[in-house]
Amino acid sequence: MENIIEVKNLTFCYEEDVKTIDNISFTIKKGSYTTILGHNGSGKSTIAKLLMGLLEKNSGDIYIGGIELTENNLAKVRDQIGIVFQNPDNQFIGSTVRDDIAFGLENNCVDPSLMDSIIEEYAAKVDMLDFLDHEPTKLSGGQKQRVAIAGILAMSPSIIILDEATSMLDPKGRMEINTLVHQLNKDKNMTILSITHDIEEATLSDYVLLMSDGQIIDAGEPNEVLKKQQEIEDIALDVPFAYKVSTGLQKLGIDIDTYINKEKLVNTLCQLHSNK
Amino acid sequence: MSITFKQVEHTYSQDTPFSYHALKGVNLSIETGHMTALIGHTGSGKSTLIQHINALLLPTAGEVNIEDIIITATDKPKSLKPLRKKAGLVFQFPEYQLFEETILKDIIFGPKNFGMNEEKTLEIAKETIKLVGLDESYLEKSPFDLSGGQKRRVAIAGILAMDPDILVLDEPTAGLDPQGAKEMMSLFKKINMQGKTVILVSHDMNQVLQYCDDVVVMNKGQVERHVLVDELFKETEYLTSLSIDLPIITSFILELNKNGFHIDPSIKEIDELIEVLGGELHG
Amino acid sequence: MDNMMFGKYIPVNSFVHKLDPRLKIGALILLLVTVFFDAGFIGYAILSIFVLIMSILAKMKVSQILKAMKPMLFMMAFLMIFNLLFIQNGTIIFTLGFIHIYDKAVIQTIYIFIRLLLIIIMTSILTATTKPLDLTLGIEYLLAPFKKIGFPTHEVAMIISIALRFIPTLLEETQRIMKAQASRGVDYSEGTMKEKIMSIVSLIIPLFISAFQRAEDLANAMESRNYNPEAPRTRYKQLHWQIADTISLTATVLVSACVIMMSFVL
Repeated sequence: MENIIEVKNLTFCYEEDVKTIDNISFTIKKGSYTTILGHNGSGKSTIAKLLMGLLEKNSGDIYIGGIELTENNLAKVRDQIGIVFQNPDNQFIGSTVRDDIAFGLENNCVDPSLMDSIIEEYAAKVDMLDFLDHEPTKLSGGQKQRVAIAGILAMSPSIIILDEATSMLDPKGRMEINTLVHQLNKDKNMTILSITHDIEEATLSDYVLLMSDGQIIDAGEPNEVLKKQQEIEDIALDVPFAYKVSTGLQKLGIDIDTYINKEKLVNTLCQLHSNK
Repeated sequence: MSITFKQVEHTYSQDTPFSYHALKGVNLSIETGHMTALIGHTGSGKSTLIQHINALLLPTAGEVNIEDIIITATDKPKSLKPLRKKAGLVFQFPEYQLFEETILKDIIFGPKNFGMNEEKTLEIAKETIKLVGLDESYLEKSPFDLSGGQKRRVAIAGILAMDPDILVLDEPTAGLDPQGAKEMMSLFKKINMQGKTVILVSHDMNQVLQYCDDVVVMNKGQVERHVLVDELFKETEYLTSLSIDLPIITSFILELNKNGFHIDPSIKEIDELIEVLGGELHG
Repeated sequence: MDNMMFGKYIPVNSFVHKLDPRLKIGALILLLVTVFFDAGFIGYAILSIFVLIMSILAKMKVSQILKAMKPMLFMMAFLMIFNLLFIQNGTIIFTLGFIHIYDKAVIQTIYIFIRLLLIIIMTSILTATTKPLDLTLGIEYLLAPFKKIGFPTHEVAMIISIALRFIPTLLEETQRIMKAQASRGVDYSEGTMKEKIMSIVSLIIPLFISAFQRAEDLANAMESRNYNPEAPRTRYKQLHWQIADTISLTATVLVSACVIMMSFVL
């Protein structure tokens, strides 16, 4: 599979001599679901802003869909990426759901007579069709984030970045957004880059980048990376629940594999139990 | 009893077209020294309820009794300050209430408003900054130079410095990373162990299970359950109907039990679970 | 805050609600100018009847108009007393100590009262029948000719619409911070001057910090969605001029012209 995002030797400093992003390189495959995992202040959100060209890198190269991110290419790069930020309120630009979805279309000079049908199409995709004329203050956090996703989808990007998009939501909102995003990844082959500190969410992704102090300290499939207990605990994160249980059982002399996925662990345990 | 609600009603913007009936006949009593969880989804009336505890909102009918200070719709104490000091309320994302030049000044802002003298406040500031896990050297720094998690600690220190008997926390760990959340929760448990009543509004059932004694469930402006934590998580159907998730450990045990295991679903600690599970597998 | 009716949009379905915002803004400006032409009592009677018809067509309730006037009462009273006492023309009709009141002063004061009343009612009709966003759109269209001389029409319209979008959010935020500080012992209603200043500081600073944070987030969100103030963009909301607008415009122009001419003849 081809790489849709390529980052080479990227460095960025907010202040002089403090490297928020310290010489990192990584690639992301087209159509994959990748999580960037790190504690608060590890630099993970800065990466999203750099990829979007919202911050200017100090050195290094960023390629999005084969196009190098430069000042002149900003629009071409942004056409390919949609980003959902953390605070649902601060990215709601329109006065109603309808106006908010229209905002991106207006910027892309879409013919106004076509907008209504586009707005309705994407509002339906995120299940917000009944709320088109609602004001943001009348919506829940989860609903606002869904509107943000509709606004992004309407601009048909190939990558969606979630910059801690669920961290301010209640469990219901969080689940709605996670389900929606996984669906987009599977059905539309949308490349997803999710920035989070939720390890259970990371267990469901295809690829994990582990970040600490502005560096990528590990990268790989969740099945490998998330089993490195020492490494994960060193950067103030927590290993998955299934990992704790399965390794705990191993210590008691029970012969099972190490798991990170709860459902798979349940299945194995049940088999062991019935074979007993 | 630390807190008692008797038939409390609250209607916002009463007698206007925008009126909203947020609390409907709430009866509740919370014992001194308990750590009580308050759960229910957004709009269930949780945040209206907690604002009655320090009289930011007054009941439109019924009676609220906080450590023997009685508030009714028609009758409230002349000054609400003693009540505000007794019941410290930490709002969601409290870091937004910081405003002073130094952390010291911000922490002692509350105590000074409640009339504590300068010398005493300094002492308290030194104590509380340590309590929230930062050292004394921070006191002279500006709160705005801190990271998000540190700001939250300072904001919470500002409430703890008031030395309230009741501590009400609205989603205190929202947005924190796992490590930060864990430290924060241990801090509240520690404060609870010192005899303070703690009320925790949370969406995270793992926290409710691990740290709280009893739990109050709100739905549509009413208190639907007030039970011990173990009791609540037995009512899986009820919780599903409110779309409240089970704690990860409880749902794991229930999954196993569905397939022939016999594990006590009220187990809270992962180590205990592993031991019991090991026992069953060794048979 | 709930009682603040002046400038509030009232969602009902009326003839005036459906009119083009450009017409409504234009008509208001024209009528505001007309109000200041002195066409005697007959002139004001004509204007008043016209405004009355508009209020009825807009389905405005008397209670809404009265509420809209509430915040202006102090200013109106002040202006009227000022006029009554300081205009010294015509014959004295009343004397109390050193206060003399002249007949011309009484007439002038009544005029001023009528003028203010008309201005408030007309402005309320505009705001009550036009959504803030449509107002912005109308202003943008009307300012379009000034683009040629370098006036940033589009940017101004965007600024206004974002301001309107964030007013409810910031009000909510204000209330939240006030409550948070009240929990720390701030008393917004009582206290010495020093305490009062402190309580305002404890509100303003967090409010500013959060507003700046929001502004930064918003700028990022807008840029991420390809917003570029210098680039051309289309508009989702389009205005459609209809026959009703032409008729209303004609009526307004006629009434104004009539009143203005009377002021010159009289």
